[in-house]
Amino acid sequence: MKADTSQFPQLDKTKFEQRGKEFEFGIPITNSVCLGNSIAVGFGDGTVRIFRSGKNLKTIKAHNGVVLCMAEDGNNILTGGDDGRFLKISIDGQINEIYNFGTRWVDHVEAINGNIACSSGKDVYYWAKTSNQPKIFSHNSTVGGLSFDTKGRRLAVSRYGGITLWKKDYTNKWTSSNLLWKGSHNKVIFSKDGKYLISSMQENQLHCWRLKDKIDFAMSGYGSKIKSFSFTDNSKYLATSGAIDAICWPFDGDGPMGRKPVCIPYVGNKKVSFVETFPNENAVFTGLSDGSVFLSEIDKEDNTIIIRSFTEHEVSAISITNDCSNLLIGDMGGNILWTSVWDK
Amino acid sequence: MEVSNKQVPVTVLTGFLGAGKTTLLNRILTEQHGKKYAVIVNEFGEQGIDNDLVVDADEEVFEMNNGCICCTVRGDLIRILSGLMKRADRLDAIIVETTGLADPAPVAQTFFVDQDVADRTKLDAIVTVADAVHLSTQLTDHHEAEEQIAFADVVLLNKIDLVEESGLNIVKDRIKKINPFAKIINTKKCGVPLNEILDLDAFSLKRVLDVEPDFLTSDHDHEHDDDVTSLSFVTDTPLDMEKFQDWFSKLLQTKGQDILRTKGILDFKGESDRYVFQGVHMLMDASPMGKWPEGKDRSSRLVFIGRNLENMNLKEGFENCKSA
Repeated sequence: MKADTSQFPQLDKTKFEQRGKEFEFGIPITNSVCLGNSIAVGFGDGTVRIFRSGKNLKTIKAHNGVVLCMAEDGNNILTGGDDGRFLKISIDGQINEIYNFGTRWVDHVEAINGNIACSSGKDVYYWAKTSNQPKIFSHNSTVGGLSFDTKGRRLAVSRYGGITLWKKDYTNKWTSSNLLWKGSHNKVIFSKDGKYLISSMQENQLHCWRLKDKIDFAMSGYGSKIKSFSFTDNSKYLATSGAIDAICWPFDGDGPMGRKPVCIPYVGNKKVSFVETFPNENAVFTGLSDGSVFLSEIDKEDNTIIIRSFTEHEVSAISITNDCSNLLIGDMGGNILWTSVWDK
Repeated sequence: MEVSNKQVPVTVLTGFLGAGKTTLLNRILTEQHGKKYAVIVNEFGEQGIDNDLVVDADEEVFEMNNGCICCTVRGDLIRILSGLMKRADRLDAIIVETTGLADPAPVAQTFFVDQDVADRTKLDAIVTVADAVHLSTQLTDHHEAEEQIAFADVVLLNKIDLVEESGLNIVKDRIKKINPFAKIINTKKCGVPLNEILDLDAFSLKRVLDVEPDFLTSDHDHEHDDDVTSLSFVTDTPLDMEKFQDWFSKLLQTKGQDILRTKGILDFKGESDRYVFQGVHMLMDASPMGKWPEGKDRSSRLVFIGRNLENMNLKEGFENCKSA
């Protein structure tokens, strides 16, 4: 007897899935970064793959373990791994080992204007564009995250008990000040206008400092840790993961104090695991713990489209190319969708 | 290749410096078992561990801002375990070595408090390596040694070839007085079958049902008031759930710092299921665990391991929970 498949609901592929390419690597995807119109993806087996429109997929064996972190550095990618290596990889796959920390992991990497930094344990190593010798910034506890401001004159380092804010003066001398808040701070970012500093904490909340007057406040109410957050390009909204809605805090005017966030709901009550804002728009790509991804306009109610249907694996990477032509989505199950953003 | 969602067991290895932790680690790693283990070692540890999956860590104890004063976690573990879970290859187990003077509570609490850690890994057991020659002195001189015994699921009593039998019995009695649950294994040079220390599932509620504690008399002779001891209570009278919850939650809130571990199997009036719980300081994991076995008497059993237990009116509190 032949099974009658028509009785099962047919899940249609989204139009993005239909016109894009889907890959099943079976290896957790840890990071992705945009390099111009290419997107580099880091994997749990140490490989880096580069997706370019119209070109073959490039696979680079970079680390002997997990690619823990990635950053864009001009035409290169910086990566840090659990093999203790800090690498600079060209888009053609040339690997240059910048530093080897041995059995200590390289947890975070960042780059701005050719200056590069990484953290391993409690130390941040900083290489100015013009120097081969690193400068070492030490802290009392393990670095939870690091971030340059858009000019590269400030470097925020999150740790237990707050943020160490390193500033470079015009003689290129670095001095530090502390922004203290009890607890363990992880990922940290500046708002794109440089006015605010946001960190995610071990507790299910964000902490924010307004830098001009050092006023600080918590943004809480989340059901889980906030591992992913991203400012819109105009710094009007901070989109955040960690709840079943995409929570978008208003940062225009006097900031979010005393104001309610915009909460964008999705069907199915799945946790938001990853967010990435759409360049030059008040819109956010929201990845859920079941692998589905949506694009929502923050200012307009009910303006959400589905980009990818569920895969049963938590979304762990979303990147869009600089020209906004192509989009990459990756998850912890090793599935990738590489698709064009617009109908051709 | 399929990415698995099964929780990876984590074994915590404690013990004073010189007790034999490194010997045991090397034994675990070099034995031909065909398994893949990651080992998290601390910077003050003894050198000479040979494995390509050794991760260096600093023990970083973080306080949580959750209103629970004794709630501390190991920040380095949260970071490293989450990194290890991104690996492409499947780990069979993770072993965490602690420094000789470490308090095991923050390690255990990490698995209660951090959701990501709890989702992907599970605390399998705390294995404490003790030096049969020096343990008695260490227990008197260092409260950390007491805590390591108090938290242990397995105590590897090492270097037994270097003590007389009478001395060995004194040490064992001391261990049992602190922790009646711990399984004591006598070893020379940490020679122990790995299945007795790995993959024990000692922190699962199901295991609370399986392990009969080695009850001693509940009379205690104390040398110091801050000695770690254990007290246990049994009753055949069903308990009143509301009264018990009220008493027990207040007890943990006010005395949680002194109560190191609790375990219990409870018979509530009007309930057909057995209730099982276990706790570390103020944190607790509790659940109904199925029906009482046919033909066996129902009873409630409760064990406390901690300091100053005699000042907590535990017996009276427990008696008051009996249903009328």
